[in-house]
Amino acid sequence: MNSREKGDKFIIPALIMLSCVTIYPVLYVFYLSLQRRLLIFDISRFVGFENYLFLFRDDRFWNALKNTAYFTVASVSLELFLGLSIAVLLNRPFRLRGLTRAVILVPWAIPTVVSARMWEWVYNTDFGILNFIIGSKINWLGSPFWAIHAAIFMDVWKTTPFVAILLMAGLQVIPHELYQAAKVDGAGSWTTFKRITLPLLKPVILVVLLFRTLDAFRVFDAVYVLTGGGPANTTETLSIYAYKVLFQTLQFGYGSTLSVVVFLCIGSISIFYIKLLSRGIK
Amino acid sequence: MFYKLVAKFLFLFLFFLVLSCSQKGDNSGGRSTITLVFKHGKIAGDPELFRQIIDRFEIENPGIKVKDEVLPASTDEQHQFYVLNLEGKSPEFDVLSMDVIWVPEFARARWIKDLSHLLTDVERSDFFPGPMQAVTYRGRVYAVPWYIDAGVLYYRKDLLRKYGFPPPKIWQELVTIAQSIIMREPDMYGFIWQGKQYEGLVCNVLEYFWSNGGDILEEEKLVLNSSENISALQFMRDLIVKYRVTPPLVITAIEEPTRHIFGNGKAVFMRNWPYALNIFEREGSAIKGKVGVSALPSFPGKESASTLGGWQLGINNNSRHPEEAERLIRFLTSPEVQKALALTVGYKPSRKSLYFDKDLIRVQPFLIQLHDIFMKVRSRPVTPYYMMITQVIQPEFSASLSGIKTPEEALNSAQRQIEHIFQVEK
Amino acid sequence: MTKRISFYLLLIIAILYCLCPLLWQFITSLKPDYELTRIPPILPEKPTVAHYISIFKGYPFSRIILNSTIVAASTTIFSLIVGSLCAFGLTKLKVRYKAIILGFVLSVSMFPPIATVSPLYIIIRSLGLRDTWWALIITYTTFSLPLSIWILTNFFKEIPDEIYLAARIDGCSPFQAFQKIILPLSGPGIFTTAILVFIFSWNEFLFALTFTSTPNSRTIPVAIALFQGIHEIPWGDIAAASVTVTVPLVILVFVFQRRIIEGLTAGAIKS
Repeated sequence: MNSREKGDKFIIPALIMLSCVTIYPVLYVFYLSLQRRLLIFDISRFVGFENYLFLFRDDRFWNALKNTAYFTVASVSLELFLGLSIAVLLNRPFRLRGLTRAVILVPWAIPTVVSARMWEWVYNTDFGILNFIIGSKINWLGSPFWAIHAAIFMDVWKTTPFVAILLMAGLQVIPHELYQAAKVDGAGSWTTFKRITLPLLKPVILVVLLFRTLDAFRVFDAVYVLTGGGPANTTETLSIYAYKVLFQTLQFGYGSTLSVVVFLCIGSISIFYIKLLSRGIK
Repeated sequence: MFYKLVAKFLFLFLFFLVLSCSQKGDNSGGRSTITLVFKHGKIAGDPELFRQIIDRFEIENPGIKVKDEVLPASTDEQHQFYVLNLEGKSPEFDVLSMDVIWVPEFARARWIKDLSHLLTDVERSDFFPGPMQAVTYRGRVYAVPWYIDAGVLYYRKDLLRKYGFPPPKIWQELVTIAQSIIMREPDMYGFIWQGKQYEGLVCNVLEYFWSNGGDILEEEKLVLNSSENISALQFMRDLIVKYRVTPPLVITAIEEPTRHIFGNGKAVFMRNWPYALNIFEREGSAIKGKVGVSALPSFPGKESASTLGGWQLGINNNSRHPEEAERLIRFLTSPEVQKALALTVGYKPSRKSLYFDKDLIRVQPFLIQLHDIFMKVRSRPVTPYYMMITQVIQPEFSASLSGIKTPEEALNSAQRQIEHIFQVEK
Repeated sequence: MTKRISFYLLLIIAILYCLCPLLWQFITSLKPDYELTRIPPILPEKPTVAHYISIFKGYPFSRIILNSTIVAASTTIFSLIVGSLCAFGLTKLKVRYKAIILGFVLSVSMFPPIATVSPLYIIIRSLGLRDTWWALIITYTTFSLPLSIWILTNFFKEIPDEIYLAARIDGCSPFQAFQKIILPLSGPGIFTTAILVFIFSWNEFLFALTFTSTPNSRTIPVAIALFQGIHEIPWGDIAAASVTVTVPLVILVFVFQRRIIEGLTAGAIKS
């Protein structure tokens, strides 16, 4: 290891790019989060951690946090399960495999705004195809129970391809010899999956989990278009709440505080994943 | 090798950067003509028709060019766009079209110019009183009403006639009529409206509050949890669960789904904006010629009311060409242009006199009825706090409609939260 | 035999699950307005191409597709170049504070975009890049870098250090080793990353909405949002537009999939 050359020059372009574009915005959000800033009333003053203290009294924040956590856990775990199944399924050789893989990617290729509109239509109580197929009259987006699950289902549909294609790429780098050796030893397909596929796929799975969690925790436009946070804020996620506070009511200070909280939550989740990841590699 | 590649990469990058900047420079090179930028939501129908109107302005005003830049029609996206630009003191657009609820907010923030001098008293009286009130903040006028919108009641003329009912004037009548028609007509809803958690829900709910003598603000005083409001909100919930004339699907509905249901002939009554009328009368519509429009009903002994919508034109405070921008606003809100817009895209003029215009009435005879409704139109609270208020009341109204909270709980909770908001200036 | 049948059955379910909503979009796009909200029948009674005609008429839709293609393609290329260099440095060379760097890279995608859009907009405007492709390319490249770097790091790690060291002993500079050995060996990872980044930039809405203002630079998601009227939502047109923009993407993905399989055979050398 010590004999290696320095690699600084290879990473500098990326670091410069990231710093130039993101450092100012990120610091600015932190700065705003310590301010009481209501531009329309000419209020702009430093208040320290007052905004952060207000979080504890803000029921709407806790509700949004709860919704976000539920949404993230449910959608990410479903996506991982479905994505892994599809990846394993498509990893065997069969005719038209390339085409099938392309098809699998379609949901991810449709712009989020469009797919949210599309699902809104699918979920429609009266002329939605979902109720037509299962022969029910369920008010998917209007019932406080179903709305969040309808949003989760849409997100699962939309982002499973992301999970599947990454896992497929991960499966491809597992050497064939290992499978053949397992076969020679007389291992069944479940044992092979558990003993060979899963352990070797673990780093990729963790990267997938990491990025899916990052995205799901920040989910905004899909749910916003689908339900607007309703009914009765049962689908209001942290990002939606932050959006409303920032751009609807123009409370830039508190809106930034909410964003910083999202950042901190994601940060701690990421550290947890990365710990797992580095342990997996050693 | 490596450095060479990075250098090439950087060079390419800078090259395009310079290229794109220099293009910008070329455009603003000519000093003789002024280019006004006009931002507005998408105009319905063929974009060519609106361009022709703009062309006329350019001919009448040599030396001024107008670039009209369309924004997505979603009001949230427009609000976000304007906030980002106006807060950043962007001079990149001159004239902007605003939803009626933004005017006091933008005026309070000094993002838009005072336009009081633009309208004489005589001219002001030509506009409907509702929009005029909505563009006035602390006695000054900050925008000119461009076109008007208001909640109206759609009903099935043919069905009401068949069963011998007149259009309802009282909410309870509407319930009775709807109940008796859906009993005899299979597969129909009684009365549909917009109940999704969004701005349109507030418009709907306010119509019940007002028509029961309630309101949100009375002379700056918050009266949200009054008994009038509580019983009005309870009535809305009752429409769904007690009288069963309204299907639960309205809890997620915005304008379009309700318009489609009614347009398919599946509902007796609908609350919506006047835009749907033009669509119902199109070729191929299932209910062509079967639709009637009237003012919304009221509670017994109270006045009917409908919520004001529509768009207003204002000038960016950082505009470099305020005088030319004023000329453009004058032109766009003139009777001639409003008439042209009404004829081509069906926008409802904000000037009263046009509702007696012979050419217009011949093509759109329902305008006379709309005139009376627009005279009684009421605006949502005209206060810079409005956007904060609506963020509080939307989920509370939604909670009460979906049965999570009783109307009283919802309104008490909203009252408390808004009282807290009102302390921000202190 | 039953195993085969159940395999194909599962496959068909997976395909239907992914395709059904799009198929529904396609059917919707062929329905005339007044048929949109009638169900049954599922299929249009009088199929029409009116919606396809109307999205190209009166709106420079081909220009919009061009914008999206250029923005997404450039983003993909930049993100891959910068990202793979960085990932190579991090995996095969000595870099101090590796964990901190990776954490910093990742932290970029921890803020909700809605919070950073406002200050970013001010940067873009002061650079004079408003309403240009560059505004979007720079932003997207930056925001896709964490994903590229993390995925590529993972794939580069899979390549045994011995292969890299052998190349160095044969006289390759680190960059040559990267270009001639590491890159070809990690085909699947690179193409996967390319597709993910491409689609991310193709679909992004919030920044595109804020940084663009005319058809000169508008991308597809914003253009589709523009179809909507103040109250009216022309569902048929939106469906037609989304089918139109999805088809080239599917073709593209299909083409790239073949390359991935090629990349796979290249990767087989290593074992």
